[in-house]
Amino acid sequence: MLDRLKDSLDLSVFWEYRVILLSGFGQNLSIFLLAGILATAIAFLIGAARLNRNWFIRTGALGYSEFFRNTPEYVLLVWVYYIMPILLTNLLKTRFDLSPYAAAVLALGVAYSGFMAETVRAGLLSVPKGHVEAALALGMSRRAILFRIVMPQAVRRMLPEALNQYVSLFKATSIVSLIAVEDIMYRVSMVNVDQMRPLPLYTGAALFYCLIIITASQIIQRLTNGWRVRGWA
Amino acid sequence: MIDNLNRFVFANIDSLLNGLWVTVYVCFWGLLLAVALGLVMCLVRLYVPVLRYVAIAYIEFCRATPILVQLLWVNYVWPDLFGFPSSVVGAGIIALALQSSGYLAETFRSGIEGLPKGHVEAGVALGMGPVQIFIRIVLPQVALVMAPSLINQIAVIIKSSTLISVIAIPDLMYEALRIVNQWFEPIEILTSVGLLYFILIFAISMTANQLAQFFNRKLGLVA
Repeated sequence: MLDRLKDSLDLSVFWEYRVILLSGFGQNLSIFLLAGILATAIAFLIGAARLNRNWFIRTGALGYSEFFRNTPEYVLLVWVYYIMPILLTNLLKTRFDLSPYAAAVLALGVAYSGFMAETVRAGLLSVPKGHVEAALALGMSRRAILFRIVMPQAVRRMLPEALNQYVSLFKATSIVSLIAVEDIMYRVSMVNVDQMRPLPLYTGAALFYCLIIITASQIIQRLTNGWRVRGWA
Repeated sequence: MIDNLNRFVFANIDSLLNGLWVTVYVCFWGLLLAVALGLVMCLVRLYVPVLRYVAIAYIEFCRATPILVQLLWVNYVWPDLFGFPSSVVGAGIIALALQSSGYLAETFRSGIEGLPKGHVEAGVALGMGPVQIFIRIVLPQVALVMAPSLINQIAVIIKSSTLISVIAIPDLMYEALRIVNQWFEPIEILTSVGLLYFILIFAISMTANQLAQFFNRKLGLVA
């Protein structure tokens, strides 16, 4: 068992394939960035719609966020990858192809927009009503109130929770290998086919993710604690 | 559309139900193992100073690694390294349990640390031993506070369990993808299975929410 353990922790194979594996990791990062931007944009729309005066808009937004919060990411990913091209082809009457990469960005972005919409809603709710009323009394327009009074305060309150959501999103990018996006897990299994050394490869992948996520969440915790101390978030 | 629904979904209802049963089976044992591991790790972290950092490392590792990576790691590495699990179902159960036990350990810890100190001190004043205090004072209260989070964790486990199809465990997702690859008609089958997952997970997380609100209202507990 001891030599097996030694084999598992022998990371030389990672050094040997560093270029392939790191470019795979680049795919993870770029999917994470694009999906994060998409999720944030949708989340602001849905989060604001959750507080709309119109009952239909409010309920529709609630339905949206509940649906995407409670559907497994893998199901969404496969659904988008297999079904979206067929639906769009029928709709547009021209052949429509969706690359695995685009499907991954779309599925993960939409999946996490549900979680983030709730964060946005909580952030918007945390702005005291008096502030908006004061701005109205000063004769500010609705637009000016939104961008100069509500948003600056709401975004600060959202940040700690939103950063945690981004970490979850980054963890979720590992599943894109399942629709053949050539990300790090995909490359790891390719190298494994080549080398037949699953012990160090999969152990190394687990440790790699572990290291990155723990570092990121430690940094986030330090930052948000600092913000709380200074009353910024 | 109705035709296809008949051909792909209802004609295969037996294998889909078998898949659902495998999902439920794996999730059930995964949850049970996760609760046990989580409780042990939480207790070690709180009360066994020598092993405290081992428990922290375990919890952090489980929380920081994506479920797919853990699944592949357990499936490919553990049989060689530790000699078990001997089947893919075992690997699926262990991977789901690893993931959830990390989260549950932290939930249990916040529950125990949130308990007013006076309760334990009252137990000591009455001459109760540490084990008795834990079983009769700490555990019942923590269990009540934790109930909603625990139910939520069931929803998380079912969500993650869609990935066990990757290591060829014939769960609901596996059966759905098998039918898709057999006929290349994904729309009806994937949509139905997706909706089934949604309804299942939504019902469970609604139950957790309602329970949390009920406890909050009736007992003043805040999880």
